[in-house]
Amino acid sequence: MTEEVTEQGAPEDEMDVSQQSPLNGPGVAPDPEWFEQVADEPPYSRNVRTTPLHLDAADESRTNSWSEWAGYTVAQVYTSIEQEYDALRTRAGVSDISPLTKVRISGREGVTYLDRLLTRPVGDLESNHSKRAVLCDGNGHVIAEGVVFRLGDEEFRLVLRSSHMDWLMQSALGIDVQLEDVSGTIAGLSLAGPLADSVLAMAGVKQPAELSKHQGMWAELGGMPVYMSRTGMMGGLDYELWCDPSDASVVWRRLLSVGKAVGLRPVGAAVRDIARLENGVALEGIDYHSAFTTLEPSDALSPYDLCLGGCVDLDRSVFNGQSALRKIADSGSTSALVGLEFDLADAAIVGPICNGDKQVGKITSLAWSPTLQCTIALGLVEASALGASDGFSIKTQAGENVPAKLTKRPFLHFS
Amino acid sequence: MSDDALHYDAIVVGAGHNGLVAAGYLAKAGKNVVVLDGAEAVGGAAQTAEISPDYQVSTAAHLISGFPRQIEKDLKLSKHGLAWATKDMATVALDRDGKHIVLSSSRKSDLATITAHVSQDGDAWKAFEGRVAKYVKLLRPLLDRRLPSVSADAATKTAAMLALRLEKMGPADLRAFLQLVPSSIAALLDRSFEGDLIKGALSLEATLGAHAGPHTPGTAFSFIYKRTQEAIGQGMGYPVGGTGALTEALASAAEAQGARIRLESAVTEILVEDGHTTGVRLADGTIFEAPIVLSSVDPKTTCLDLVGARHFETPTVTHVSRIKMKGATAKINLALEGLPTFENFSDREYGGRLLIAPDMGTVERSFTAAKRGELTLEPVMELVIPSYHDPRLAPMGHHVMSIIVPNVPFDVEGGWDEQKEPFVKRVIDTISDYAPDLSDKIIAGEVLTPPELEERFGWGNRGWHQGNMSFDQLLAFRPAPGMATHEAGISGLYLCGVGTHPGGGLTGLPGKLSAETALAAEKRS
Repeated sequence: MTEEVTEQGAPEDEMDVSQQSPLNGPGVAPDPEWFEQVADEPPYSRNVRTTPLHLDAADESRTNSWSEWAGYTVAQVYTSIEQEYDALRTRAGVSDISPLTKVRISGREGVTYLDRLLTRPVGDLESNHSKRAVLCDGNGHVIAEGVVFRLGDEEFRLVLRSSHMDWLMQSALGIDVQLEDVSGTIAGLSLAGPLADSVLAMAGVKQPAELSKHQGMWAELGGMPVYMSRTGMMGGLDYELWCDPSDASVVWRRLLSVGKAVGLRPVGAAVRDIARLENGVALEGIDYHSAFTTLEPSDALSPYDLCLGGCVDLDRSVFNGQSALRKIADSGSTSALVGLEFDLADAAIVGPICNGDKQVGKITSLAWSPTLQCTIALGLVEASALGASDGFSIKTQAGENVPAKLTKRPFLHFS
Repeated sequence: MSDDALHYDAIVVGAGHNGLVAAGYLAKAGKNVVVLDGAEAVGGAAQTAEISPDYQVSTAAHLISGFPRQIEKDLKLSKHGLAWATKDMATVALDRDGKHIVLSSSRKSDLATITAHVSQDGDAWKAFEGRVAKYVKLLRPLLDRRLPSVSADAATKTAAMLALRLEKMGPADLRAFLQLVPSSIAALLDRSFEGDLIKGALSLEATLGAHAGPHTPGTAFSFIYKRTQEAIGQGMGYPVGGTGALTEALASAAEAQGARIRLESAVTEILVEDGHTTGVRLADGTIFEAPIVLSSVDPKTTCLDLVGARHFETPTVTHVSRIKMKGATAKINLALEGLPTFENFSDREYGGRLLIAPDMGTVERSFTAAKRGELTLEPVMELVIPSYHDPRLAPMGHHVMSIIVPNVPFDVEGGWDEQKEPFVKRVIDTISDYAPDLSDKIIAGEVLTPPELEERFGWGNRGWHQGNMSFDQLLAFRPAPGMATHEAGISGLYLCGVGTHPGGGLTGLPGKLSAETALAAEKRS
């Protein structure tokens, strides 16, 4: 006992005081006291979560208007919808997309795993490229859609709007692949608008314009490493910046300070929703429900119903939903998600979609498009109604029929 | 060997009884079939081997109760050496005072053995058997044929078929049956009988080989299911030469039709290309090609290990990986230099299936001990003296005894090295309570603990049935939801082991139905 004490005590006595300083580099074990103690938090104990950009967003907010996104609080409107929309479509807008679910997929059989998980193969995806990813269940119904990035030979990142880790884990059984939910360790910023390139250039990013659609690359922004990808759902020139949560604030402030000169503004969720609708993007949880969350089995939709048939490659080795999708492809889908334009400013009074007197569908989301100067909407209609000679109309709650034009998505085209 | 020699119409993985039945039917239909098995002999769990020179016994499975006459006829098994030593064994519940109960018969003398314990149980037995017969009639049409075909949802169709038959039963029987499905066998028996011994014996019958006790919910249905399987068979018994003689006859019948059986050829991989089965790979790398592969290996191992999870959609993998397989048993085979003396035993009892289960509490306690990884102090068991009907198994005047002890944990507390000897002593002592001279007559013995059964047959800790025979894993849910048609979900791959419909026991039906499915699918395309 005494011996032990002397043995441990001896070197400490001889040690030079300067050697104990944390600044002296390796060789000295850091004292836990130096760091802030964070108590372990039980899962789901917190109902309101904030993103790494929350305080920065609060700084910019003039309205104190927030909304909820996957449990996180994000700004709904920073200044006004008109100003933000104008910035996004004519200059540039930046927004916080950190609440997205990000899953790191690594390991020898990452390609095998994703090929089985997604409705089309990823083997042909080059490093630093991405493609749209659709996940189906065994009945061929869409669970989620998102984007899959290839970051290296054996490393992928799947970005989804909602977490489906249990399904992802079940699908990994017997495949040499590691999955990690990295949502909390990667912050996301969206930078979109015709002047997005200029903003990036002004912020010091070299040749952002060389990046083609769906491509990604590492860059340095405000001295911070940032993975920059030409992805997003705003339409037009769309960038997404992925970085460490602790760097996010620096990146955000750097973009806003250099972008001020060209009219860059932070854009809230309200305008993002208008913009994605103009771009014709349907969202899980809004326009349709994930196959896992529908109450009625018949509410679950196949990729064909959502007009995502282009994302399905049937003739290859087995993938989730393959056999069911083959049958659906043969028999044809029963419903279709379509774009509609009509002239009705008051969204609150919109009723079902009709074909003549017959009710054939419902509106899933709609917005007034300032650029198109009309109301645009996504609607789910019976597939059989698509070929009908009568046009569609929207029945208002007052019983009035407003003619609606079937429009190919996206509504808004960018040169 | 030329390349051609390794190309077949169909490959059967595993030379157990179901694999051989499947091979027999495929060969009979003109297919060029090869059966591959890693073992040195055919038979799987139905093998006869020597305990010591001149004493032969069915090493693992020792009774056959559900083998249909149809398969025997179709494959001409009698021509290939199958002869039954006995087909009408009585079930005998042993009593310490010599008042044994003889079950499974309507003979007056048997009934008297029941009333000797509790007088009203005689009538109760008649009523009980009558009710069981009704349920058996209800289920039987579901068991000896393939479940409704793939086209529609098999589960729904089976449910509809069952619903129709239930409706026909009348309200009183319907109510009783619906009450029975989730019941424990203990609840069913307590409703029916007074006597402890009869309840003990029947509860052992219901739970033998399962990871369950008399009070486990669902065991009442398992009992009815077992009885239905027996009704399809030809009565309880064993062939001359033990259960191994059945598989040898099956092997010979299959070979006579042109099938090849290759032993010491363990299949390590079932090959799949673009969603089609193309053949198998052996441990030494040899590839056998065939567009049809039937696997009698349990569904979990077949799908997840031999084929690989990646070749199935996630829901299938999830279902298959959740198949419950549990229920460890031990097997003890004894060589005896004479017939042990049981009090009040006559010919019928010696040749019967003997159950040691004095009451349900003892059976339940043995299961409770197994759950805790312990060995019970009062083991329950099923024993048979196969040499009684088949004297050639042992030298003149000598006998062999085959004992199945259920509820023996795979990982026993203290380890098997230490526990094996006391365990065997306890079993012998228990039998000696009924046949005091048993230990004097033992000249050799063989003890197969669950780890040893695992090593020899591969099912030490997973039960005999490649999946528990409980309601949630039977009929449309066997082996897993959506897989009840013997098709594994990959074109050309079929499951033919006891893990598939209609389930466990030496019935040959999974093999037959699987082969029929494969042949029907080929005809369709």
